[in-house]
Amino acid sequence: METIHLKKQIEPELTIGKWFKNVYDAVRTTAIGMGITFKYVWGREVVTIEYPEVREELPSNSRSRLYNDAENCISCLQCAVSCPVDCIYIAAVKRPTDAPKIKTKDGTPIRLDLKQYTIDTALCMYCGLCTTVCPTECLTHTTDYEYASYTLASMKYDYLAPDIRAWRTRIVKS
Amino acid sequence: MSTHHEPEDKIMLGDQEILKSDLLTLNMGPQHPATHGVLRVEIKTDSEIVVDAIPHLGYLHRCFEKHAENLDYRGIIPFVDRMDYLAAMSMEWGYALTMEKMLGTEVPKRAEYIRVLVAELQRIASHLVYFGTYGIDMGAFTTFLYCFQDREEILRLFEELSGARMLYNYIWIGGVWNDINDDQLTRVKNFVDRFEPELLKYHSLVGQNKIFIERTAHVGVLSKEQCLDFGATGPILRGSGVEWDLRKNRPYGMYEKIDFDVVVGKGEKGTVGDCWDRYYVRIFEMFESIKIIRQVLDGIEEGPVMGKVPKIIKVPAGEIYMRTECPRGELGYHLISDGGKTPYRLKVKSSCFTHVSMLPIIAPGQMVADLVASIGSIDIVLGEVDR
Repeated sequence: METIHLKKQIEPELTIGKWFKNVYDAVRTTAIGMGITFKYVWGREVVTIEYPEVREELPSNSRSRLYNDAENCISCLQCAVSCPVDCIYIAAVKRPTDAPKIKTKDGTPIRLDLKQYTIDTALCMYCGLCTTVCPTECLTHTTDYEYASYTLASMKYDYLAPDIRAWRTRIVKS
Repeated sequence: MSTHHEPEDKIMLGDQEILKSDLLTLNMGPQHPATHGVLRVEIKTDSEIVVDAIPHLGYLHRCFEKHAENLDYRGIIPFVDRMDYLAAMSMEWGYALTMEKMLGTEVPKRAEYIRVLVAELQRIASHLVYFGTYGIDMGAFTTFLYCFQDREEILRLFEELSGARMLYNYIWIGGVWNDINDDQLTRVKNFVDRFEPELLKYHSLVGQNKIFIERTAHVGVLSKEQCLDFGATGPILRGSGVEWDLRKNRPYGMYEKIDFDVVVGKGEKGTVGDCWDRYYVRIFEMFESIKIIRQVLDGIEEGPVMGKVPKIIKVPAGEIYMRTECPRGELGYHLISDGGKTPYRLKVKSSCFTHVSMLPIIAPGQMVADLVASIGSIDIVLGEVDR
């Protein structure tokens, strides 16, 4: 058996005068507070955005769903290398020498044929490092933020698939 | 401090014996609203009096330090954000400073000013979260709504600046990612002008309220010596009356040129170092932040925002310890490099961890409701505690 000593909270002694002063102070300070909050009853505009009815437009450089414009991609793998969580999967083969020469929008020659460009959005943490290293600026963050889905498999975006390429008209910033 | 009590132990509160029955073990958390995240506190109580409180950590452990050893130096920044998610800008700044000192990079003047600006705005946003949630802990719900309304304005600005609302990845090694434009600077100015009188109003709504004072004054007292023994920093240390602020005492960035005061708790409503003093320090730090922001807005220069940094960062072999003043206290990075592309070791000294470890000395002898007040007033973010 041992004795444990707990320290008692120091509190000033309560006299009758102090008790009445406490009551007076409580009423007075609460009234001041009520005065402050009472001003909010009228004449304040509503700040709450009621989401499904009112949709907020995100700022233009907001980092949301990724989109890769596969036609301008030169398969340089810089995005995949810079990704901290390794969620970008790229496969490319060398373009045959007799094939017609193609270029991206900004004039960079494409020397590799892109066979697979998949981003696992479920792994992605939207840090934006992949988009800043992209030399042709084909990989961009869009402002689209409503893309919840039921399965993990559907979060893997294959940017060569026609249904995902069809987003381009809808979400890509010019 | 003994953590194991036998049923026949004699427990004295002051000079009175209090043990009337067996000790009751209570679990507070991990899903308790008053623990601000996933902190579990194992409390031993005798009726309402807390005899012992043991914090249990690890619910938000993400292995940051080990993970950082496998990431390149740029790729660490997004993970640094996730430590103290309420003050991500300050976390990034600390890391960027560590790297710049190691690499010897010059940071452009404009980038330095922007860093101070965003860090101080972040400090305001972080203290507003503290203020709002502390109000809820003490039973005042209104401030929570007011604070989040003002915080929203800061987050909106950060979203336009960096692209994200909480995890910015904005301050990079060598500068900042994006330039701030004049329109945004005007908005900061308007916000600061509008916010200053509002904050005084909130202070008289909550801080001067007698009920709030009764709940916080004389509660959770941490003496100067206890704080220094445990290595507490930030508002906790200043609340206990120690004038120590890294921005003033060991200036980094632009702080040398900026004039501001260090707010210290004086025991105005109770004892020095009680919950009310810590509240007071945080509120008046926001006013100091406003002062700093005004000076930044006056002094900001034109120019580039990104210094010269090699494309593939290789840090020369060696080690460095760099610390910065974050809203919750000192944040230190200890980086050891062996000359490769990834750090050999990156140790983070977080202030919240120290502050959580002070719970067992605050708690004994308190009521359970006062323990809520004490946990709220040390303002922990579990992301930084566990890392």
